[in-house]
Amino acid sequence: MEKIVTRFGEVEYIPENLLYFPAGLIGLPNLMKFIVMPNKKSGPLFWIQSADDPTFAFVLTDPTNFFLDYQVTADESERQSLLIEEDDPCYVLSVVTVPPDQKISINLSAPILYSPKTNRAIQVVLEDSQYNTKTPLPQPQKTKE
Amino acid sequence: MLVLTRKIGEGIVIGDDISITIVEMKGGTVRIGIDAPKEKKIYRQEVFDRIAKENRDAASWDMVDLESLSDNIIARKVK
Repeated sequence: MEKIVTRFGEVEYIPENLLYFPAGLIGLPNLMKFIVMPNKKSGPLFWIQSADDPTFAFVLTDPTNFFLDYQVTADESERQSLLIEEDDPCYVLSVVTVPPDQKISINLSAPILYSPKTNRAIQVVLEDSQYNTKTPLPQPQKTKE
Repeated sequence: MLVLTRKIGEGIVIGDDISITIVEMKGGTVRIGIDAPKEKKIYRQEVFDRIAKENRDAASWDMVDLESLSDNIIARKVK
């Protein structure tokens, strides 16, 4: 068990369980090892904490929670980075931006491909211009009690 | 920055495995052909910059905001 001090407090983790990004994130190539943090609330959002730089943490979600027809598959070189075969499961996650005004957005233009088998992940760029880095999440509506 | 002058059809080689060729020049734009190993990721500069910036923006959130948002999103799903 190791621990780091983050802006959310002290986080303990088991090094063997770290989520590994062999190429880091785009523009942040040194962020390769992440701790997957359980969200205290239930719901589709969870977060990962960088073990390389305690100042970096990201909120992630399964984008199909919000965009049913959003599909990304790993190509051959991406599967090589993930160390998986064509028929191994590979999940898509999206980075969520939560600004102070809570106008939450999701980055559909640069999804993360994740292999549960190897615990590896890569961030990829979709050239398709219909996907935006700041796609608004469908606005949460207040429910009537 | 190294600056080289090239004509159409000419190219440059970077290291052992990347070569770049000037394919066409027309109306102020240049078309460039790139031969590189598949695992070398190639991005248009502005696309790379936009995603790098979004990643940085996404890293500076507050736990309080996340928790209240999570509440709203649960409420939405229940509805």
